Amino acid sequence: MENVSALELSFQMGETLLKNGAEISRVQETMERVAGAYEIDSFDVYVLTNAIFATGVEQGIEHAARMKHVPGTTIHFGRIEAVNQLSREIAQGQHTVEEAFAILKEVRALPYTKLLLSVLACAVGSACFSYLFGGGWRDALIAFFCGVALELYLYWTSRRGLSKFLTNLSASALVTFLGAVFFLLGVGENMDKIIIGSIIRLVPGVALTTSIRDFFNGDYLSGAIRMLDALLVGGCIAVGVGVVVRLLSLVTGGALL
Amino acid sequence: MNPMLLFTWAFQTLIAFVSTVAFSIIFHTPRREWLCTGITGAVGWLVYLISMGLGSGTVGASFFAAVALTWVSRSFSFARRAPVTVFLICGIFPLVPGAGIYYTGYHFFMSDNSQALATGLETIKIAIAIALGIGLVLSLPRFLFTWRREGK
Repeated sequence: MENVSALELSFQMGETLLKNGAEISRVQETMERVAGAYEIDSFDVYVLTNAIFATGVEQGIEHAARMKHVPGTTIHFGRIEAVNQLSREIAQGQHTVEEAFAILKEVRALPYTKLLLSVLACAVGSACFSYLFGGGWRDALIAFFCGVALELYLYWTSRRGLSKFLTNLSASALVTFLGAVFFLLGVGENMDKIIIGSIIRLVPGVALTTSIRDFFNGDYLSGAIRMLDALLVGGCIAVGVGVVVRLLSLVTGGALL
Repeated sequence: MNPMLLFTWAFQTLIAFVSTVAFSIIFHTPRREWLCTGITGAVGWLVYLISMGLGSGTVGASFFAAVALTWVSRSFSFARRAPVTVFLICGIFPLVPGAGIYYTGYHFFMSDNSQALATGLETIKIAIAIALGIGLVLSLPRFLFTWRREGK
C-alpha cells in the first residue's frame, strides 16, 4: 500500500495548498497539524515558495527527507478552503488516513470555473474597474470587450504553456492595443481608464499580498521570492503597455494617445 | 455633505462589490463566499473614497483602505472558518496600483523620464502603504476579531 502513509498525506496536503496559492505559514501549520493528529514522531517541515522539505518517523521507520519542486501556482481558493476544512477535521480525529486520502483526492479534483463564466467575470471586472478609476460608461463598455479578449487569450496561453513573463507582456500589449484602437476609432473617452481597467486582471495582487503575509510571518526568503515575482510581473505589464503606446504613437504620427 | 456625492460614493461602493465578486470568480472561490469577498472589496473601496474625500492623498488612502479591508477579512475568516487569504486577496484588487503601473509604463516609453520616475515611485509607495496596512492588522492579536463567534 503506497497511499496510506500519514506522512505522505501531510505532504500531499501541503503540496495542494502551496500549488493553489496559500501562504507559507499556512502550509507549514497544516502539515504539522496533520502530522500531530496521526502521531508522526520528530516531524520537521520546511516550506519555500516552490518546494517542501519534510522528514518524520512513522511506525519506527524514518522517512528520509522528502522534497519536491512545486511548479508555478494557479490560484484556486476553493481547494485551499477545502484542505483547510479537511485539516481541521483531521485534527479533531474524524478521519482515518485512508478516508483523508479519499477526501484529498476529491479536493484536488475540484473543478476550475467554467471558461464562459470566467470570461464573463473578467469582462465585468475590467468594466467595473475602468469605471472605478474614473472612466465613463463608454470606457467601461470597451474595457468589457478588452476583458473578454484578455481572459480568452490567457486561457489560450495557459494551454500552450507560455512562460509567465511572456504571457504578461503579450497580454498587457494586447489589451493596450485593443483599448488604443477603440480609442482612436473615437469610441472611448479616456484611453488610460480603459487600459487600466483591463490590466487589473494581470496586476500581481496575489503575489504582492502573499509576499506581505510571508514577510510578516517571518518567512523572509519566500516573501522575497514572491516580492520579486510581483515586481517583475508589474514591470512586464508596464513594458507591454509602454511599447504598444509608443509604437502606435509612431505609426499614427504622434496622435494624442 | 451633498446628496450627489453620497450617491456617487454609494454607487462606486456597489461597483467595487461587483468587481470584487468578479475577481473572486476568476480565482475559483466557492460560491458561498462570494457575498463576503464582495463586502470586503466594497469596504476597502469605501474607506479609500472617504479618506480621499478627507484629503489624505492616494498613498494614505491606500493605507487606510488596506487596514479596513484586512480587518474585515480577518473577521470574516473567523466567522466563516475560512482562510484569510480568500477574502484578503479578492478584496485587495480595487487597491492594487494598476493605474500606477500603466502610467509608469506609459511615461517610460514616451521618454518622459521625470514623469516615469515620479509615477514609478508613487506606485511603489502605494504598494508599501498596502503592505503596511495588511501587515499591521495581521499582526494584531486574534481576540479582536473573534467577537462574532463568541457572541453567538
